[in-house]
Amino acid sequence: MNTRTWLLTAFAILSAPAVVAQKWEFGAGAGGGFYTSGDVTSPAGSGSVKIGSGIGASAWLANNTSQLWGGELRYDYQTGDLQVSSQSVKASFAAHSQAIHYDFVLHATGRNAKVRPFLAFGGGVKLYTGTGTEVAAQPLNRLALLSRTTDTRGLAVIGAGVKFNARRLTLRLEGHDFITPFPSKVIAPASGASIGGWVHDLVVSAGLGLLF
Amino acid sequence: MLRTYLSWAVSLTLSAAVALGSGTFGKVVSIGGAAADLALDEARGYLYIANFTANRIEQMSLANNTIQSSINVAAQPAGLSLSPDGRYLLVAHYGNFVSPGSPSNGLTVIDLSSGGKQAFALGSPPLGVAFGLDGRALVVTAQEFILFDPVSGTTQVLDTVSGLQAKTLPATQPGPAFPPNIVAAAVGVSGDGTKMYGLTDKFQFSYDVNQQQLSVIGYVSTPAQGPRVVSVNKNGTSYTSGWTLNDRFGNLVAEFLNPTGALNIGSHAFDSSRGLIYAQIPDATAGQNPPPVLQIADASNLTVRQRLYLPENLAGRSVLSSDWNTMYSVSDSGVVVLPVGSLSAAPRVVSDRADVVFRGNFCDRRVATQQIQITDPGGGATPFSLAVASNGVSVSPSSGVTPATVRISVDPNAFQNQKGTVAVNVALSSSKAVNVPSPVRVLVNLKDPDQRGTFVNVPGKLVDILADPSRDRFYVLRQDTNEVLVFDGSNNAQIASLPASNVPTQLAITFDRRYLLIGSNDSQIIPVYDLETLQPLAPVIMPGGHYPRSVAASGKAILAACRVAGPVHTIDRVDLGTRTAVALPSLGVFKNDINVNTVLVASPNGSSIFGASADGTVLLYNANADSFTVMRKDSAALSGAYAASSFDRYVAGNNLLNSSLVPVAKLESGTGLSSGFAFVDETGIRTTAPDAASPGVIQRVDTLTGAGIRATRTVEAPVLGNTTYAFTRTVAPLYSRNSVVVLSVSGFTVLPWAYDESVAPPKIDRVVNAADMNSAVAPGGLITVFGRQLSPVNIATNELPLPTALGESCLTVNGLPLPMIFTSPSQINAQLPFQSTGNVTLVLRTPGGVSDNYNLVIQPGAPSVFRASVSGYDALIPTIVRSENQTLVTTSNPVHHGDTLIIYLTGLGQTTPPVEAGDPAPSNPLALVLNPPKLDLGGAGLSVSYAGLAPGQVGVYQLNATVPRNAPAGLAVPLNIVQGSAKTSVEVRVVE
Repeated sequence: MNTRTWLLTAFAILSAPAVVAQKWEFGAGAGGGFYTSGDVTSPAGSGSVKIGSGIGASAWLANNTSQLWGGELRYDYQTGDLQVSSQSVKASFAAHSQAIHYDFVLHATGRNAKVRPFLAFGGGVKLYTGTGTEVAAQPLNRLALLSRTTDTRGLAVIGAGVKFNARRLTLRLEGHDFITPFPSKVIAPASGASIGGWVHDLVVSAGLGLLF
Repeated sequence: MLRTYLSWAVSLTLSAAVALGSGTFGKVVSIGGAAADLALDEARGYLYIANFTANRIEQMSLANNTIQSSINVAAQPAGLSLSPDGRYLLVAHYGNFVSPGSPSNGLTVIDLSSGGKQAFALGSPPLGVAFGLDGRALVVTAQEFILFDPVSGTTQVLDTVSGLQAKTLPATQPGPAFPPNIVAAAVGVSGDGTKMYGLTDKFQFSYDVNQQQLSVIGYVSTPAQGPRVVSVNKNGTSYTSGWTLNDRFGNLVAEFLNPTGALNIGSHAFDSSRGLIYAQIPDATAGQNPPPVLQIADASNLTVRQRLYLPENLAGRSVLSSDWNTMYSVSDSGVVVLPVGSLSAAPRVVSDRADVVFRGNFCDRRVATQQIQITDPGGGATPFSLAVASNGVSVSPSSGVTPATVRISVDPNAFQNQKGTVAVNVALSSSKAVNVPSPVRVLVNLKDPDQRGTFVNVPGKLVDILADPSRDRFYVLRQDTNEVLVFDGSNNAQIASLPASNVPTQLAITFDRRYLLIGSNDSQIIPVYDLETLQPLAPVIMPGGHYPRSVAASGKAILAACRVAGPVHTIDRVDLGTRTAVALPSLGVFKNDINVNTVLVASPNGSSIFGASADGTVLLYNANADSFTVMRKDSAALSGAYAASSFDRYVAGNNLLNSSLVPVAKLESGTGLSSGFAFVDETGIRTTAPDAASPGVIQRVDTLTGAGIRATRTVEAPVLGNTTYAFTRTVAPLYSRNSVVVLSVSGFTVLPWAYDESVAPPKIDRVVNAADMNSAVAPGGLITVFGRQLSPVNIATNELPLPTALGESCLTVNGLPLPMIFTSPSQINAQLPFQSTGNVTLVLRTPGGVSDNYNLVIQPGAPSVFRASVSGYDALIPTIVRSENQTLVTTSNPVHHGDTLIIYLTGLGQTTPPVEAGDPAPSNPLALVLNPPKLDLGGAGLSVSYAGLAPGQVGVYQLNATVPRNAPAGLAVPLNIVQGSAKTSVEVRVVE
């Protein structure tokens, strides 16, 4: 079977009318996200810490257990530098994050509907990993220390989106808010400094799923 | 390249003078005749050699350096050149040979593709040939410059020799008979084929291949410009002709030293890839039949880096292979093949130190021993021997095989009557090495307590010193390596080295304090440096034949006293704007005809330039009048110091002169020969010495009466003049007025500004370890002594082993002298002896007297981690380095699990093998701590892979340890170092 024949065959299978209702969905998507920032204060001054905007990718395995309810196990990867800034000075450090979570999904329409708005909520863990090059003196190291290490944090997820079903394929447009405590190992407060609160990572993505 | 019959006779005589008792560099390929020229054909793997006497072109295989075949040609092939496309080999036949006959002059074109040969007759003898990039050859004959096209066989006369003379040479330069004929000529072409340069007896010429432009520069030269070879660099911007290095305009940039001028001995070639010139230039000062020596010199200023013995004399053109690894030179037997690219494989011997300094002092009268390393730079095992011709200095072993450690010992008793610095040469030789090794200079100084100053060793021949008038710096001119050494006046440490021209003689600073100018004896340029950036600027180009030996800058004019290649030496006026100079038509009403040994110096306020000549003449340029206003001769000869003040006082030798240069006082001569003089405000500071091995004398001088004030003996003699350079400048009062620096026999001597005032006795307040400034100290550890009047001057040393007296201070523990690193009035850094433990007494001796006893407890171990200042942190940072990124551990560069840390500290006590205090720690074997410490990081033990002295360091220990996976993370985790009952702790950030 040459490449052209193989592609035609695959397309024919995916486009064929569903003979049974599909319970499972496997998909992948891509998008972009941005984080909310936090404040850092110390006797040496104050500033802002955050993780920079980045692009992300995700993969999921979903199970539509009923007409309206479903659940999915997701993996998300997202780039985003660690950043600390104060006045006009800014320091950054290469980093990325990975999240594994299970979300419950409530659809507004039935399993066989062509358009299925949904809400999602769930939880898991998120790993923030600093990957930059360490130097003896980072700028603003009296406020925060951007570090080459991994910070594992509990994760809460809420999201919403809409699915467009076409035979065995489903197209997703969705948005999520990944909520974790501030990753204070990779953005460590300097001696005498404090960084608190939660980090919201707002991600918008599009994806394609295969129903089976 | 043409050589005469007489040349061969001389060459044959000298070829017997092969270096005896040493190796030689290069392989001789004999051709059974006299080689006149050569051409390299790498495409075919041949070197073509013109065999002048056998009438053939030898073809030497580049693969095995043997003559494989030959091409018979017409009589007396004298010149060769290969066309750029490699097709044609052009042979020039010199027909005007005096004996045995006079065959015809002509050219032979050999088509190397077909083997065909074609002969062309010439009207006059061809003296040199060279192909340009355009495929045409420039043929220099006795009468004409011809362009020859080997394809068509046509010739084009570019110019005639007489025509060139009329157009370009100054009418007065060559004399009425110029030029009756060219008797010898050489032509060289740049590596890219775009520029050619040639040399004849009377003029040099250049030919731009692209522009087809010929130009000529007349010259006079004594001795003659030999060897009669022209070498050009790759892009044609620089060339050597005879014994001179020139830029593309023909300006003389530098000269090889002491040339004999023999046309027929020697050679040179550019190595543009390495910035070097390989040259054999016979040395007129080397005596009868010296062994032939190849110099490896910087292509910028001919600073000689190495000298190698040759198997026989070179005798004409040299060419380098395209990979710059092999040099082929015409030689007495034919050709010498020199593998310059694999010089490292040739056996050589060198010492790791040029000078070895032994400082005895009133604290330390022990027999002193130091070590030097004799190595082969290529790493080979090469035999060597050392010889010392002086009682009191011994070497052990006196012979061996590289690499070897040699101990040099000095018995102070043998030098007890010598209070200055005695220099003893230890000669290094080898039966196998191909290089000419430099001797090791052993400097022995046993000063008395009353001798003031601390000398700082600076190897080499130092000829001038100049204090910066607006910065706390001073400049020392090192003549043997053609460089200006820049020192920081606050600590006397060298901060820069500025390349100078060849054989630099004197320094000058422009009146606006912005530029440094460097005079020289063997270059016709004045290098210029920006004193703010210490970067070179465009040099001043002197008139042809003018060597600016002395330069001075007034507020109005910059003048240079020039040695001139001609009958009259002159003073030239330098225009810094155009970077040119011109000889003054007259010196005011006086003739511009000066003694070659003339120095100039400007008054600090820029109002005048004072000149003094070895023949006794003194002269004065007045900046207001912009002219010389005084020239007189009241002495038969002058030598020694020279100086100009801002208050109409001048000094030449022992004469104090007024504004009309009339001697008004005679400076005393009882303390020895005049060496240096510097005006400071309205007084003077003067140095003298009976001879180079005696103590020097420094005294203030009343500039009204000339009377000396408080003559004080110095640790060693200032530099004294000689017949070639009669005048010396050796006193540099620094801008900060903290110290006076005197150029002296070992380098320079630092004296406190108030060297002759009474000094209070020293007072020790506190002694701590030099790492964390804690009071715990241990044997072999570095300590810091705080107090008052600890030393008259600030001075740091990089001498190894460390001296036991520094800044005129010496420190003892129970009578044992301590090696010292740094001294200042309030602080001394030193190393404790390894054998001192327990309760000890510390005593400091200075010119002010002896301190009270300071009682100190030396513990067996007292680990203390050094601290470093890191930009971005307020606090000092412990010197702990992560081996992963070789960066200091900080909160930004935290410790990670699994890291290997390198910790630098002091106070770990005795080692095995033991190391002498003051000596650098050995690297093989490593000096391990007798009682290794234990380390933990927040309670998690670290495995220590090394605990010992840091190789090459004095008193600095090193711990290598690995961080375990269970080490706790945190911003400030304690790293504990425990040695016996002693403990130190530093905090580090740890991340997982």
